[in-house]
Amino acid sequence: MLISRRELLSGAAVAPFLRAEQRPKIAAVTNIFFPYSHAQHIVDRFLEGYGWNGTHHHPPMDLVSLYVDQVGANDLSRDRARRFPGMRIYPSVAEALTLGGGKLAVDGVVLVGEHGNYPTNEKGQKRYPRYEFFQQIVKIFRESGRVVPVFNDKHLSWNWEWAKQMYDESQAMHFAFMAGSSLPVTWRIPSIEMPLGAVIREAMCVCYGGVDSYDFHGLETIQCMVERRKGGESGVQWMEAYRGERFWQAYREGVWPRELVEAALCRSHTLTPSRPGFHNDFPSFDDMRRLVKDPVAYRYQHHDGTLCTMLLMNGLLQDFNFAARIEGRAEPFSTEMYLPMPPARTSLASFFSPLVHHMEKMFLTGKPSYPVERTLLTTGLTAAGVESLFRGKSGNETRYETPHLAVSYEPRSESTFWRT
Amino acid sequence: MTKRLAVVTTVYPYLADRFLDGYAREGRWHRADMKVVSLYLDQKAEGDLSGQRAAEFGFRVYPTIAEALRCGSEKLAVDAVLMFGDFSKPCVEVFETYGRAVPVYHDMQLSGFQNAKWMVESARRLNFPLLAGSSLPVTWRLPDIELPLGCEIDDALMVGPGEPNHALEAMQAMIERRRNGETGVQAVQMIEGDEVWKGGDDGRWSKQLLTAALSRSDTPQGLTLNDGRTQDLVASGELPRLVRKPAAYFIEHRDGLRTTLLMLDGAIKDFTFAARLKGGDILSTQFLLTPEPEATYSACLAGKIEEMFVTGKAPYPAERALIVTGTLESCLGSRSQGSHRMETPHLSVKYQPPLNSQHCRS
Repeated sequence: MLISRRELLSGAAVAPFLRAEQRPKIAAVTNIFFPYSHAQHIVDRFLEGYGWNGTHHHPPMDLVSLYVDQVGANDLSRDRARRFPGMRIYPSVAEALTLGGGKLAVDGVVLVGEHGNYPTNEKGQKRYPRYEFFQQIVKIFRESGRVVPVFNDKHLSWNWEWAKQMYDESQAMHFAFMAGSSLPVTWRIPSIEMPLGAVIREAMCVCYGGVDSYDFHGLETIQCMVERRKGGESGVQWMEAYRGERFWQAYREGVWPRELVEAALCRSHTLTPSRPGFHNDFPSFDDMRRLVKDPVAYRYQHHDGTLCTMLLMNGLLQDFNFAARIEGRAEPFSTEMYLPMPPARTSLASFFSPLVHHMEKMFLTGKPSYPVERTLLTTGLTAAGVESLFRGKSGNETRYETPHLAVSYEPRSESTFWRT
Repeated sequence: MTKRLAVVTTVYPYLADRFLDGYAREGRWHRADMKVVSLYLDQKAEGDLSGQRAAEFGFRVYPTIAEALRCGSEKLAVDAVLMFGDFSKPCVEVFETYGRAVPVYHDMQLSGFQNAKWMVESARRLNFPLLAGSSLPVTWRLPDIELPLGCEIDDALMVGPGEPNHALEAMQAMIERRRNGETGVQAVQMIEGDEVWKGGDDGRWSKQLLTAALSRSDTPQGLTLNDGRTQDLVASGELPRLVRKPAAYFIEHRDGLRTTLLMLDGAIKDFTFAARLKGGDILSTQFLLTPEPEATYSACLAGKIEEMFVTGKAPYPAERALIVTGTLESCLGSRSQGSHRMETPHLSVKYQPPLNSQHCRS
């Protein structure tokens, strides 16, 4: 565990565990636990340890309780509870937090509300019960008169109002709250950071995946970079989504900078060969049109004028690539947020390792490694993208004003992506 | 002026495409100011692309190496040669005949030590730049580290699957940066089977370094394939169950450094490295082989080849590939003679590493 000297010297930042050498107890609240699910990747790292900083690291804390909302045929939670008797499965979120007693009995909570069989609404949003679980968690906090740090995997809720409420409650109750996915914390190829205070005109992520799912990862890829710009984060004014023929028309008309798409694509390791017999060529506009059947773009503007675009280009690539136009630089700034993704490319989803590292750090220090406001904003952007697409589908104006996304915050000056 | 390239090869190499169709470099699609003008193909494999490429990109396929290098004229008519397979002798003959030599990239994978040595000496004698080796030393690293130039290495260990040549080359690219550079290899030994595990128990190779190297792997096999779990393969004792035919290559360098290559087919599918420096610091990394068929890692090598063709200077010495070829040959010799330790007086290959890092990092 790497804790800076400054954090150690500042008494307020030091959680009791650093002084008392006590092992924190952690509860995990999950939707479902099957091979290669988020719950498996995260919980296993606490139980089995993981490769970190050149050794097999065992977190200095105990994951003692687990709630699993849906137990499927390929469930692994029972196997894990058998193999790790220190972890017990509880039938409710409340009991996982109280360890069956009357009061909060853990020192940190991991909420993994991903996968599982949940209803989808008319806009195509999967109604994962993150908000509902969060409410059960804070209820125990209230009843116990004690709060502990909470990590929420991915975005806060599919529903903006609920997400905002989660954020507001964490603020009002003064507990450490951190959220998001691996994208901001995984390896970058090349291993570079956005200079703090850069003046960013335009930023872009070219990636893949579905709406109300990987779009969030693309938005996080952009946000963890642009939040470091001059003046910090100021929030987002409007969002406009493009799909299908409207996407290609916008692409052709230069609604978003082609130069940045090309820079991002030049960081990809998975560009689909566009011509038979070639393995790694650069696609023309026509190649893209042929390869990408259902392209999606989210274009949005921050209050300080910075423009961002997230492109989902399934069929063209299978990774997350960032590019930005920065004042004072002739060439675009670009990198890949690298996910060693099983099962095709790897066996281990190692990008969960830096995520668990930051959870550990928060559970030990009581301080989130990066601001939850980032996730609040990207949660809102994901919902705004879905909303804009929905409006377009219904034949309405696609540009969606987002006064509710006036989320402003300062980034951490230190880098938190994986580089050691 | 646009450089004219000849490709001399066993089968059509995809690396040549990088010089026809460009490659991603530092966030741009880069097209070298070079033109492939001729190709010699030793074997026409099924699905051979050379005819198609020649037609599309306007070069000719010649029946002999000499003709490919002369492009139908009576003199050397290319500015550089991309060589895949051991065609050193016919190529150098052409250089000597016409009294002019040009830069050569040579994969040096299938040459024996004597042939490789002859090529390195020819390059010195005829004063042409020679770049040799594969993509592994120059690909991206996770994390992006380099051993400090002039460091003192206590112990180093490389792990890989498949054939040992690339793994050995990647390790050499790391350890050549030690104090005084490469001094040559004094003796080697290759062991296989249970002896490898026994070697670990006896401290012939470091379990701590193996743990460090494997902590960088994204491809542990066995239980991870069943259910995605992380594994400490060394502490769990799973390795002997996963690896049917383990092999250890022990290499004693002339300056006293001992290094180990462990080929652990069945345990992992990627290439990782760990070294303990004097003072105890352990550095470890993965040499990233990006997915096939795109094989973007080969763009890293293409960049180095292009650099040599432009500057006339090899960015790193061909002696690296030479010592790797010789070490590997001697290791296989050790195995065929009962896995005994084998002295290697012929491997007195000395060289200094490049001052700057040569792998992809920008």
